[in-house]
Amino acid sequence: MKDAGFIIASYVVTFASIGLFSFAVLRRSRAAGRDIRPEDRPWS
Amino acid sequence: MVVNDDSLGAPSGDAGLDLSPRGVDPTFSRRGKRKWLPIVVLGLVVASAGVIVTQFLTSAIDYYCNVDEIGAKDGCDAGRRLRVQGTVDRGSVVDDGTVTAFSITFNDVSMNVRYEGDPGGIFKECIPVVVHGTLQGDTFAGDRIEVKHSNEYMADNPDRVENDLDSPEGSGCSAPA
Amino acid sequence: MSTRVARDRVTGTPFTRGLGIVTILGIVWLVIFGLFVTPADVNQGETVRIMYAHVPGAWLAYLAFIVTALSSAMYLWRRTRSLTWDRIAGASAEIGVLFMGISLVTGSLWGRLTWGTFWTWDARLTTTAFLFVTYIGYLAVRGLGGTHHQRARRSAVLALLAVLEIPLVHFSVEIWNSLHQEASVAGNTDVTMDGLMLFTLFLGVIVFTLMYVWMLLHRQRALTLEDMLDDSGLDRALAARRAEAGVS
Repeated sequence: MKDAGFIIASYVVTFASIGLFSFAVLRRSRAAGRDIRPEDRPWS
Repeated sequence: MVVNDDSLGAPSGDAGLDLSPRGVDPTFSRRGKRKWLPIVVLGLVVASAGVIVTQFLTSAIDYYCNVDEIGAKDGCDAGRRLRVQGTVDRGSVVDDGTVTAFSITFNDVSMNVRYEGDPGGIFKECIPVVVHGTLQGDTFAGDRIEVKHSNEYMADNPDRVENDLDSPEGSGCSAPA
Repeated sequence: MSTRVARDRVTGTPFTRGLGIVTILGIVWLVIFGLFVTPADVNQGETVRIMYAHVPGAWLAYLAFIVTALSSAMYLWRRTRSLTWDRIAGASAEIGVLFMGISLVTGSLWGRLTWGTFWTWDARLTTTAFLFVTYIGYLAVRGLGGTHHQRARRSAVLALLAVLEIPLVHFSVEIWNSLHQEASVAGNTDVTMDGLMLFTLFLGVIVFTLMYVWMLLHRQRALTLEDMLDDSGLDRALAARRAEAGVS
């Protein structure tokens, strides 16, 4: 594939940044969730 | 957790409670140590917004003209910096290693272009380009070339007859007039 | 209890878990189609593959910012005032900034290959960069402190102003002469697109929408937990003062 470096880089940037964001959200919510009992969470 | 404390507003037992503000206790305010961050970010945001607007306005000074508008449309005068749009003429590209010379056409008016260096991108004959530079005599001295992309998305089929590809959107790619 | 903490998914529910699985499968499908199954373009060559990440990223960023504006309006409207709307607005703006950033980076990689330049101060690019920076400013304003309702009111007003930039970005290509092509699929331009390319572009939009919903649910819930923690911090402070004063 011509220009494979740029094309693959664009896919890597896309999904890696989304993955990192998701991971950060889950990690922060896990930290916050330690102090809040499951029955106090409105969605559970 | 959030306790619904009725005693707060009641005159009962809380009378002697000291509610005067004190220094922020780091164990109660998780964001305390990051208070400066939003302010720094806001400063950067305002600065970059300023840069973006300035850059846009200074670039807009390079008037955006089609080849046939040079000397005809207000602002598209020879001698000033312009951005000129046209289609690269068939067979006009001559690259001697340091200078690329070609001509571009728009609405049957064509113009010679000299560009120092390799244009890059998907530059080739018969595609619309935008050249930044100044018209000197009858040759446009370009220092930047951008390839304008068309709105056609077609599978690259090796069997397709070559002629089909050569006139995107009826832009009239032809030998120089 | 401690053994259950490890399995505690906090912001997850059966719905988000199912959605997450579908989303990952969608991503795999999109990557396979985008990188291998779709044909190269007659003008752009292989570079056209970047479109399948760039265009959905931009669209979903617009959508995210519009959701931010709508939830902000819901917060400002007295009858529906709730901090939940404010947290949806904040979560959506974060994801919008992420998507817009993706769209800018992939767009500049594409621009280098196609136009021959990473960046140019062109109408579409400039207005997009301005929109991106505006929403980073919006997120900074959310972090300025104050009570939850102060934060909500302040940012809601800003969100309603910022969303007005979206039509400017969208129509910039028509207002000013532009290097950027006109809107790829929507709009009344005579775009022609190969069927499989068009399908993959819409697949990209669907996959990005799934990712958006998944992230929005989790982020909104995480913000709820953080707000609850702030409140419980206040409660704990009051309890400490009470203990100090000898009040039972």
